Amino acid sequence: MLELILLDTHLPSANLPYLFAAFAISWVVLFGYLFYVNRRQHEMRKEITRLQHVLEQSPENE
Amino acid sequence: MAATQGIKSSGGLGIPSLKTGMAAIAGVMMLVDLYFIFMVAPTDAVLGHVQRVFYFHVPIAIMSFLAFFVVFLGSLMYLIKRTPKWDAIAHASAEVGVVFVTLALLTGIIWARPVWNTWWTWEPRLTTTLILWLIYVAYLMVRSYAPTESKAAIYAAVMGIIGFVDVPIVYYSVVWWRSIHPSPVVGPFAESDALTGTMSLILLYSLITFVFLFIYMVMERMSLRKMEEELGKIRFSLRRRRR
Repeated sequence: MLELILLDTHLPSANLPYLFAAFAISWVVLFGYLFYVNRRQHEMRKEITRLQHVLEQSPENE
Repeated sequence: MAATQGIKSSGGLGIPSLKTGMAAIAGVMMLVDLYFIFMVAPTDAVLGHVQRVFYFHVPIAIMSFLAFFVVFLGSLMYLIKRTPKWDAIAHASAEVGVVFVTLALLTGIIWARPVWNTWWTWEPRLTTTLILWLIYVAYLMVRSYAPTESKAAIYAAVMGIIGFVDVPIVYYSVVWWRSIHPSPVVGPFAESDALTGTMSLILLYSLITFVFLFIYMVMERMSLRKMEEELGKIRFSLRRRRR
């Protein structure tokens, strides 16, 4: 049986959406992870500063 | 007051200049890498432009192997020396390794669709890589659910050593079993004529770029862990005073 194939779907450029998806996902995951770690660091830093202040103000320090 | 000063004096949360330097190197190298991948690398005659995923997919997979090797070493050293530093290195490297192996699976899935005409197939390389992902996700879960931090470190160290067994299995899977995944392009079983000169050089450059990115990510994760330990110490001091 004769099989009809659309030529343009077999040209190299037809795979561009997959290329875009692979690189986009890589960037999203890498930046997402670094953003998550940096946000946690920022929150921790704030909490450390706040608790250090509380610790300095606590009765035993006076 | 001494306790407060003790906590304050250990407030050096990482080495900012080294981290910034590493981030800058990785960032600049990554931009150059993208230029090489899209402007210099030859277009594959059969696969077309999607073959350029290769310059990200292969280094990312190798980085996950490197990460789990660091976990293996860190775990071994922790069990021998019981120094928290080794546990911190193993922990940070495991988390970054999971990020990389997740990306290796995702980029592989996307690349497989136009090339193999399927998103996923249960062939040896893909299956062993998925098992690798599950092992290190379990490693991170063991850390979270262990009753104490010292037990978490010991359980994780044992898992980090045993789990590494899957890394050579993933690498040799395409040699040992029938697989539709291409043969290795890096390492002892790499085919000598698998890549042209330009392709090899760009792959090597991409690999070096990802090594810098990996080091930077591990440093950031270790800084976070240091802060978590710092916070734990302060909370402990506060609880002791309120008693």
